[in-house]
Amino acid sequence: MEKKRYNWPATIMLMITTVFILFPLYITIVTAFKTREELSGNLLALPGTWTFDNFIQAIELTGFWGALANSLIITIPTVIVTVLVHSIVGYVIARNLHKKGIKLLYYYIVSAMFVPFSILMLPLVTQTSSWGIDNRYGMILLYLVLNLAFNTFIYVGFVKSIPVELEEAAVMDGASEWKIYWKVIFPLLMPINATVAILTTLGTWNDFMLPLVILGGRRQLATIPLTQYIFESQFSTNYTLAFASYLLAMLPMLIVYIVAQKWVISGVTRGALK
Amino acid sequence: MIKRNKVLLSSMMASGLILGACAGDSNGEGGSSDVVTLELFSNKSENVATYERLIEQFEEQHENIRIELEAPPEAETVLRTRLTRNDMPDIMSIGGNATYGELGREGVLYDFTNEEALNDIQPAYQDMLNRLVGTDIEGDYGVPYATNANGVIYNQGLFEEYGMEVPQTWDEFISLLDQAQEEGIAPIQFTLQEAWTALPAWNSLGGVLAPENFGEMKTNGEASFQEDYDEVADKYLELLEYGEGDIFGVGYDDGNENFANGEALFYMQGNWAIPEIERNNEEVELGFFAFPASNDESENNLVSGVDVLLTVSESTDHPEEALAFIEFMLDQEVATQYIEEQAAFSSIEGVLQEDPVFEDIQEKFETGSLTSFPDHFYPAGLGAENLIQEFLIQQNKDQFLQTMDNEWDSVINR
Amino acid sequence: MKRKNSKLAWYVLVPVMTVFFLFHTLPLLQGVFYSFTNFRGYGEWDFVGFRNYLNVFSDSRVRSAYVFTLGFSVLSTILVNIISILIAVGLNAKIKYHKTLRAIYFVPYMLGTLIIGYVFSFIFSRLLPQIGYSLDISWLQFNILGNPNLAWIGIVIVAVWQSAAFNTILYLSGLVTIDPDLYEAADIDGASPSTKFFKITLPLIMPFLTINMVVAMKNFLMVFDQIVALTGGGPGTSTESVSLLIYRGGFQGGEFAYQSANAVIFFIIIAVISLFQIRVLERRQD
Repeated sequence: MEKKRYNWPATIMLMITTVFILFPLYITIVTAFKTREELSGNLLALPGTWTFDNFIQAIELTGFWGALANSLIITIPTVIVTVLVHSIVGYVIARNLHKKGIKLLYYYIVSAMFVPFSILMLPLVTQTSSWGIDNRYGMILLYLVLNLAFNTFIYVGFVKSIPVELEEAAVMDGASEWKIYWKVIFPLLMPINATVAILTTLGTWNDFMLPLVILGGRRQLATIPLTQYIFESQFSTNYTLAFASYLLAMLPMLIVYIVAQKWVISGVTRGALK
Repeated sequence: MIKRNKVLLSSMMASGLILGACAGDSNGEGGSSDVVTLELFSNKSENVATYERLIEQFEEQHENIRIELEAPPEAETVLRTRLTRNDMPDIMSIGGNATYGELGREGVLYDFTNEEALNDIQPAYQDMLNRLVGTDIEGDYGVPYATNANGVIYNQGLFEEYGMEVPQTWDEFISLLDQAQEEGIAPIQFTLQEAWTALPAWNSLGGVLAPENFGEMKTNGEASFQEDYDEVADKYLELLEYGEGDIFGVGYDDGNENFANGEALFYMQGNWAIPEIERNNEEVELGFFAFPASNDESENNLVSGVDVLLTVSESTDHPEEALAFIEFMLDQEVATQYIEEQAAFSSIEGVLQEDPVFEDIQEKFETGSLTSFPDHFYPAGLGAENLIQEFLIQQNKDQFLQTMDNEWDSVINR
Repeated sequence: MKRKNSKLAWYVLVPVMTVFFLFHTLPLLQGVFYSFTNFRGYGEWDFVGFRNYLNVFSDSRVRSAYVFTLGFSVLSTILVNIISILIAVGLNAKIKYHKTLRAIYFVPYMLGTLIIGYVFSFIFSRLLPQIGYSLDISWLQFNILGNPNLAWIGIVIVAVWQSAAFNTILYLSGLVTIDPDLYEAADIDGASPSTKFFKITLPLIMPFLTINMVVAMKNFLMVFDQIVALTGGGPGTSTESVSLLIYRGGFQGGEFAYQSANAVIFFIIIAVISLFQIRVLERRQD
């Protein structure tokens, strides 16, 4: 019965269509390494000599390290707190869903998925500034709030599939509720935690709209995507410099992906199955 | 009117304190207490490099003051956001347009009326600013700094090659365009992928052909686009025929590069484009003339406005330091450096732009044959540039003029 | 089975719900509240009743933003789902270099939309015209982003290019769960590949289709980054999306209250569309 024959037509089709995925990346890379003079030549060609000058200039012009730091300062705490807080919210809601009040609360949270950011945007700008949190820390808080609906939905679904008997055994042993959550449940949630962590990392890191409206044009606080936007008009026709800057902006996530590719894909896949 | 939002705000503040305490602050200011850091907000990406050099000079002279320059894209939107969040930059370097007028009316800007800074400013430009704020409001909320000229940039090399002369009337201008076409060079460089680049020509035409106080009249129902901009629209469409290639697919930066490389004869832009063009090709020789919108030579005034005004936030924590920067900028030498690098004009008496590029318009300045930018008096929410860009693409004049009228009315009513 | 009242639930839910209320529900309520005023984002204001709503309904710029946004969303949703299913089916077949190929198709999801947009903007405005000139293909010589009738295509391309990655993975995870015996049984019956796809694959991944359609549609309705990077809403106002209009008008135009009314309407439309999709797609699943 065992047949190990490859489906070659499918393989070849898929290999050909990767061109569409790789082409923009190819353009980004070759353009970033070209000199300005080479740009008047064939844009598809490889650079004559690979120069790092564009990168050195781009790092200086856009304040790349500062932007990287800002992105990290926002993303890392957001991911950690999201996983810790949202998982426990999902847990307590899932385990108390039989209560009418909690069920209502659950629907209240989940219905936020239908609220477009546009309607929150204008009031949030005035509110965060008058409360003095129109800064990186405020951003973390806002991400926690804006992701709550989706993550609660995922966590509740997952927790429901964990048998209650496990906890009951622990209760017999006299463990506190907190301890049960932390020692019994949280480890069981690990696969879904990974999923949430990946989605949150990408969503936060690549987000442009929230930093735009909350941090405005302040270079000092700008994240990597916002920095690209702020400097876009100053790159002028200096495309080589601009592309070096784009490539720098893409690199952190590409590196994460190359290192943890298997983990990232399986994390997302698992999320889909829930 | 009642200040109802105060109540709402204070209740928010109360709850905000709890959160604010744990949220901390990270506005990136901080630092040692002796050094004052001020934010300079500029709405022009073109003057970033110049400002950086000037800031360096200023900081050398004032060791206890640091200036941070912010020049974000869509700067007016950002500035409005800042106004909404009650977080105005300390020092602003912005254009003399409707947004400035609104800020002035809102009372968020410092009143310079009693400052010596204003003594050397040409009164005509100060009046222009005050007209934007509205004559019913007392005070001078900005210092006109750099002024501009909106017209036609031409390539002198090509001009000489074909024995052309600066046109004084519309017909002369058109015949040059025809000649260029016959010679096989693109008559006009358009960069209409970016909506705002539709404005310079629009302003050149409107500044001469439409009534000077159109904005006011329109709001009072005494004028309309359908009546007063008919000729403007017709002539603009005529010009469009002299663009070559993908006129709606080229952006400003690419257009500057093309023009620098001699790919077109005329470029309907303002003086601000000149350093950008020269940056692409140092060899290029440029000239500049006032747009001859009319066949009556005496009507062809130069469209000029306040390109950059300096102002200070009413609520800045460091008014003295901020004013020190303004004073620095108004220094004759600094002002001269600014206009030389920016190819701009100064609103300070005695600071003259001597770049030969502007030979042809010196006379206009000397005789005061100037008129202001029509669009600076359009309401901010109108989005005229997008509507004009759309008109140029679709070329449906009647519908366009009607839309302009309707949009204006509905923006006013909001 | 009796469980005592959970203290942990209180400790967790009270602070989280407070913050959620303050930063989600409160702004939402404020948005609704302001939509009945003439607030400009600063300064004094008054109630104006339903005037903003009436003005929004008669505003042609708002209307064209809705037409664009809806058209864009429907088309992109359909395209993304078709393309993703095809790629997923391909990746699920017995192919060589399975892992590498899967990894490549997922790359776009890792990248920020804004930056992708800038890269494509260069491709449309410089690269394709250059190719058009050198190969003498006239329709390629024009930058599609400069044409109000075609600029939306550029935005669709970028949106689909990026979103297909995530949706492919979702479909792939659905396909893996299908029992291979089903296909073998179909093979024995002599079913054609298309029969197998429509009779086995599609019904079994229907639940995924539901989620993907709803999620993709909602994300596309909010389209913002792509437009900022590619066209800024132009040429004219031909690619101005609702989110962009609310952002621009709300701040730059000083139409804070007016755009709040627009946002309320947008909220209602999104909610209705999402619920409608869920109902329809779930019914088809039965």
